[in-house]
Amino acid sequence: MPRLLLAWAAFAVIMLLLPQVVSPGTLRIIIFANFLAIFAMSWDFISGKTGYISFGHPFLIGIGAYTSAILSYRFGVPVSLSIPLAVLATMIGGTLFFLPALRIKGTYFALVTLAFMELMYQLVQVIRPDLTGGTRGISGIKTILSGAVPNFYLSFGLMFAIALALWLLSRTRIGTALDAISMNEEAVSGSGLNTTRLKLFAFMVSALVAGLGGAFYAHYLGSIAPRALFDINFVFTIIVSALIGGSSTVIGPIIGAYFMTFLLEYLRPVLPGSERYLVYGLIALVLYVYQPKGIMELLRKLGVRAGGGRTGRAGNV
Amino acid sequence: MLQVLIQGFLLSGLYALIAVGFTLIFSVGRVLNLAYGAYLMIGGYAYFYMVQTLGMPKLPGFLFAIGMGALAGVLMYRILVKRLKGDQVAVEISTLILAVVIQAGIVLVFNDSSKILHPIVDGVWRIGSTTITNNILVAMVASWFILGGLLLFVKKTHVGRAMQAVSMDAKGARISGINTDRVNMMTWAISGALGAVAGVFFASYTQLNPSMWVAPLIIAVAVVIVGGIGSIVGTLIVAHIIGFMEIITTTFIAAELRGVFTMLLIIGVLVIRPQGLFGRGDL
Amino acid sequence: MSSLLVLDNVVKRFGGIVATNGLSFHVDRGESLALIGPNGAGKTTIFSLIMGEHRQNSGTIKLNGEEISNLPTHKRIQKGVARTYQVPRPFSEMDVAGNIRVGMMPDNLWQMITRGADPDGELAIARSVGFRDADLSRKPSELSMGDLRKLELARTLATRPEVMLLDEVFAGLTVGEIEQISHLLAEKRKQGLTYIIVSHDLRALEPLVDRAVAMTFGKAIAEGSFSDVMDDEAVRSAYLGQ
Ligand SMILES: Nc1ncnc2c1ncn2[C@@H]1O[C@H](COP(=O)(O)OP(=O)(O)OP(=O)(O)O)[C@@H](O)[C@H]1O
Ligand SMILES: [Mg+2]
Repeated sequence: MPRLLLAWAAFAVIMLLLPQVVSPGTLRIIIFANFLAIFAMSWDFISGKTGYISFGHPFLIGIGAYTSAILSYRFGVPVSLSIPLAVLATMIGGTLFFLPALRIKGTYFALVTLAFMELMYQLVQVIRPDLTGGTRGISGIKTILSGAVPNFYLSFGLMFAIALALWLLSRTRIGTALDAISMNEEAVSGSGLNTTRLKLFAFMVSALVAGLGGAFYAHYLGSIAPRALFDINFVFTIIVSALIGGSSTVIGPIIGAYFMTFLLEYLRPVLPGSERYLVYGLIALVLYVYQPKGIMELLRKLGVRAGGGRTGRAGNV
Repeated sequence: MLQVLIQGFLLSGLYALIAVGFTLIFSVGRVLNLAYGAYLMIGGYAYFYMVQTLGMPKLPGFLFAIGMGALAGVLMYRILVKRLKGDQVAVEISTLILAVVIQAGIVLVFNDSSKILHPIVDGVWRIGSTTITNNILVAMVASWFILGGLLLFVKKTHVGRAMQAVSMDAKGARISGINTDRVNMMTWAISGALGAVAGVFFASYTQLNPSMWVAPLIIAVAVVIVGGIGSIVGTLIVAHIIGFMEIITTTFIAAELRGVFTMLLIIGVLVIRPQGLFGRGDL
Repeated sequence: MSSLLVLDNVVKRFGGIVATNGLSFHVDRGESLALIGPNGAGKTTIFSLIMGEHRQNSGTIKLNGEEISNLPTHKRIQKGVARTYQVPRPFSEMDVAGNIRVGMMPDNLWQMITRGADPDGELAIARSVGFRDADLSRKPSELSMGDLRKLELARTLATRPEVMLLDEVFAGLTVGEIEQISHLLAEKRKQGLTYIIVSHDLRALEPLVDRAVAMTFGKAIAEGSFSDVMDDEAVRSAYLGQ
C-alpha cells in the first residue's frame, strides 16, 4: 500500500510539472484525455466491476452537462452551485438507469442503456428547445478558467481526485464485493449480501463521477450539442478506453484514455479526417480480442518477465 | 386515415426486412451482432458503387450488394465471433467496435458526405389522394416474399432444419452430428445477405451516409427484443407495431418524436417482460 | 422442542415438470439429515427453494419457527441457512482468501467501506476446512476438485450458518479427498453444526447422518434411520428403477 501510494504521488508530480515542458497544444490534448479518463472510470465502475455493461453512458454524462449548462446559461446560476446540482440530477438519472438492472442483465441490460441514450437524444431536441437549445445545443456556456495551463491543472486535479477516491474505494471490502458480483452474482446473495443495494451503490458512484465529468466538461468546452454527446461513437470511445487500458482497475481506464487520445492525435497527420477511427478501431479490436484484460495486463506480464517472475499481486491498482 | 394505413404497412414491411437478418443470428447463434447495421451500409454502398458510379445495370448491382453482405457476414463470423466462443458480451463489444471500424472504412473509400440512391424501381402509384412510390411498394412486397421464403427455407430444407436444431439446443445438435460451425457460418452469410438487401431498400428510402447503420440497428434490436428471441412471425408482428406507431406519431403528434415510442417500447418490454412479448419461439 | 428447519407440503413446478410434489420434512437443531434419491428426484430443487433461488408454488418453509418463503436469498442467509453447489462456482478471479472474505462480509455498506477485512478470520476458516496457509493466495483455476469443494464449504461456513445444505459434496472426488471431507464434516457435526446432505455416495453418507429422507419424483417415500430407509422396499425399487 505505501509503495502504491508513492506511485500515485509520483504520477501527480510528473503531471503537475508537465506544463513546464510541453506545448499548450499538447496540453489541450491531455485535457481531453483527462475528461475521457473520468468518463471511462465512471463506465468501468459499473461495467468493469459489476459486469453490467452500459452502452448508454452518455445518458448520464449528458444529464450532468445539460443540467449545469442550462442552469448557468439560462438561469444565471453560479457554477459553484450549478455543478453540484448537475451531479445530483445525474444521480437521480442514475437511479432510473439502475431500474432495469433489477430484472435483467448481460445483453439485455446493455441494450436498455443504449435505448436510454437514444431516447435522451431525441427528447433533448424536442422537449423545451428553449432550454436545451434543441438540435443545435447550447453555446456560450460560462467557462471556469481560460487558457490551456489552468484548464490542464483543473482537469487533471479533478481526474486525479476521482481516480484516487475510486482506487481507495475499490480497495475496501465493497470493492471486493462489487468484483464478486461480476463473477457470480448468485453466490454473492448466497453469501448473505444484498446485491441490489451493492449494485445501486455502484451505479450511484458511477453516476456521480459521470455527472461531475459531464458538468466540468460542458464548462470547459463552453458548448454542448446533442449529436456529439449522445453518440454511439462517444460510447465507443469510452468503452474502448476502459477496455484497452484494463477493465476493473482504476489505472486501466486512465492509461486507456491517454493511449487512445494520443493515438488519435498521432494519426492526425497521416489520416486527417474521421478515417483515423479505422486504425484506431482496428487497434482497439485486435487488443480487445487478443488481450481482453487490456494494456494493464500486458504491462503486468512484461513486468513479471522483466522482474524475474515477481508474484506481487496486482490487486486493484 | 387511408394514408396512415398505407404508409404504416409500407414502413413496417421495410422494418421487418431490416430486422429479419438480425433475428436470425440471434436465434441461431444466441449473440447480438451490433455490426448488423453495417451490412445495410455495405449493401447500400456496394449497390451505389456498381450502379451509380460504374453505371452497371441494376440487377448485377443488386447481386453484388448481396454478395458483399454475405461475405461480410462470413468474415465476421470466421475472424471475430468464432474466436470469442459464444461470450455474448465480448461479441457485442467487439461487433460494436467493428461497426465503427466499418463506418470509418466507408468514409475512407466514399468520403463522409451523404449520397442519394436513385429508386430501384421508378414510378408512383396513386390510391385516392395518396401517392406511393413503386420503390417502397416493391420493398414491402420483397420483404413479404423474403420472410415467407425464409420461413419455408427454415421449415423445409435440410440446412434450415439444421439451423432450427442449433437454435434450440446447440450442444444437442452437435451431439447428433450436425456441423454447428458450418450451420453458424451459413447463418451469418444469410444474415449478411438479408442485411444487404434491406440496406439497398433502406438507402433508397432515406439516403446513404456513413452513420446510417445506427438507426436500422436500433430498429432491429427493438424488433428482436420486443418480439422475443428468434420468432419470424414475432418479427413480422412487432415490425408492424413499431412501423405503425412511428407513422401515427409522425402524423398526429410530431415528426421529431417518431423514435421515442420505439425506445420506450424497448425499455418497457425489457424491464417488464424480458423474454419478449411473444416469448422464446422457435425459428 | 421445535425443529430448526421445517418444510411442509412444498410444491414446485417448472413448466410441466413437477420437481417437488407436496414434500414435507424437518431437521432439528444439531441433527444431520441425508436426503437421498435418484437423479432428477428434486433434491437440488429443495435446496434452491430453501435458499430462495426459486419460489415454491405452494407449501411453507420455516426456519426457527419463522416462515421464510417471502424473504430474498440474502435475508435467508442472514437468518442462518447456507448451501454449497453441486457444481462449484467460486469467484473465479479471486483467491481462496478473497472467496472466504465475501462470505464473511456483513451486509452493511458502511461497514464494508470503513472496516477492513479480517485475515485471521479468513485463515481460521480456511484451516478449518483443511486448507494450508499457502493455499490462501491460490486462484480457483489452480485448485483440484477436492479443494474446490473445500472452498465451497469454507465460503458457506464464513456466513456462520445454523443449518448447512450440502449438495453432492463427494461428487468427482478421489477416495482420499472423500475421506478428508468426511472427516471434516464429522468434526463439524461434533461441534454441533446442523446440516442436510445430498449425495449419491451412500457408503460415505451413512456414518455422517442421524437420519435419512428418501425421495423420488419430488415426493418423500421413506424416512427414518439410514439403515431403515435403505432397507425400505420402495427405496430399493426407486434406485433400481432409475
Ligand atoms: N431451473 C429448472 N428449470 C426446469 N426444470 C428444472 C429446473 N431445475 C430442475 N428442473 C427439473 O426438476 C427435476 C428435479 O431436478 P433436481 O435438480 O432437483 O434433481 P436432483 O434430485 O438434484 O437430481 P441430481 O441427482 O441429478 O442432482 C428434474 O426433472 C429437472 O429436470
Ligand atoms: Mg442435484
